[in-house]
Amino acid sequence: MTTQEKLAMLEEIMELESGSLNAGTKLEDLEEWNSMAALALIALMDEEFNKILTGKQIKEFKTVQDILDFME
Amino acid sequence: MGLDNFVLLSRGRRVVLYFQLLIISKSGIACAVPSTKEILIEKYADVFGEENVKKFSKMTGIFSRYTTIQEQTASDLSYEAAKHLINKKNIQLATIGAIVFVTQTPDYRLPSSACVLHKRLNLSKDCMAFDVNLGCSGYVYGLQILSSLMASSNIERGLLLAGDTLTKSCAPKDSSSCMLFGDAGSATLLERTDEKRCIQMGFRTDGNRFKAIIIPAGAYRNSDSPHERVLWGDGNVRSDYDLYMNGTDVFTFTITEVPLLISEFMDKTNTKPDNYDSFVMHQANLFILKQVAKRCKISMDKMLISMDRYGNTSVTSIPLTMADKYGDNNYGSSKMLMSGFGIGLSWGAVSAEVDTRDIYSILETDSFFKEGSVSRD
Repeated sequence: MTTQEKLAMLEEIMELESGSLNAGTKLEDLEEWNSMAALALIALMDEEFNKILTGKQIKEFKTVQDILDFME
Repeated sequence: MGLDNFVLLSRGRRVVLYFQLLIISKSGIACAVPSTKEILIEKYADVFGEENVKKFSKMTGIFSRYTTIQEQTASDLSYEAAKHLINKKNIQLATIGAIVFVTQTPDYRLPSSACVLHKRLNLSKDCMAFDVNLGCSGYVYGLQILSSLMASSNIERGLLLAGDTLTKSCAPKDSSSCMLFGDAGSATLLERTDEKRCIQMGFRTDGNRFKAIIIPAGAYRNSDSPHERVLWGDGNVRSDYDLYMNGTDVFTFTITEVPLLISEFMDKTNTKPDNYDSFVMHQANLFILKQVAKRCKISMDKMLISMDRYGNTSVTSIPLTMADKYGDNNYGSSKMLMSGFGIGLSWGAVSAEVDTRDIYSILETDSFFKEGSVSRD
């Protein structure tokens, strides 16, 4: 899966326009990065990447790159 | 009669704790909610912002819920449901040999609210009455407890009451819980039957995650906690006497363990989603139910939904959802798979053939027990 495809998935769960995220985007700057987006991310990780994401790990994410790294 | 018909099958390779009872049938369900309906957008737009409330409703599927007035308790709602059920079914009170009340919001620290309900319903002394402290999984656990009790005794009829008023337990501006819950009570009648009606049930518990949903103070642990509400790490203001829910951890549990149990339960009972007319799940929230449906290959058309109007009503959500769909309508006999999951963490599944003519429509009531205080004379 390409980085672009992964970014598109994150934009979808945060209901952002296509192209609005890049790897360096800081999560704390995103109004759309809220508790509901976190739930959607847990579901995405489980479904698409077969990974269990905990609340503690989510808190450690600072940038979009951190999420992309977890997807590896 | 009794133990001969009781089959315990927990020795299989799969670890689902599994029960099958042949002689007990569900023969009536009634539910009650308070009269006050709260529309979330009207009540919380000023608190969290209109956009945020809209987003919450879109994700959780919850737009309104019913809330009790201060004096009304879960036992009051369940009492009204039980009275309605007994009248409708014209049940002789002396034939009721057990009353089990599943709740996390009892009338008193002690005694069991079931004893208060026993008095109010004017039941015979030849009757067992006790509370069970479980929440979202409590209805399916209650069915197991009462039906097993009946299968191993000469009890003809048993009442399973299930009710909660969690809106009383949430800090008023806690964004993780204050819009989620609704108040409700229910009564389910179980009867001994000669027909080969079969109830099958499977259960699990993970006590390691007991802190995922908790009210830390108010009982005998943490009894010196201050009542003052302070800011917690998740950005919400609450005290140890308020409900705390770790939403992300609970969500991870519901999309992994719950589909696993349902899938294993269907394997064990040799059934597929097509074999069920409907799936009645604890109404945690819509996003969770969609995830469970997708993972278990259950069509959303068969997944009954009531949380849009009633919210997450904890232990009551399964019977309330059945009453919402089938209440006073005749859909004939329906094969249902019910699953409750949450606080404990605790989860279970039950399959049963239910005659929908025995399910009554939801009552609205503000009545409460006026003799609940104790004289100091």
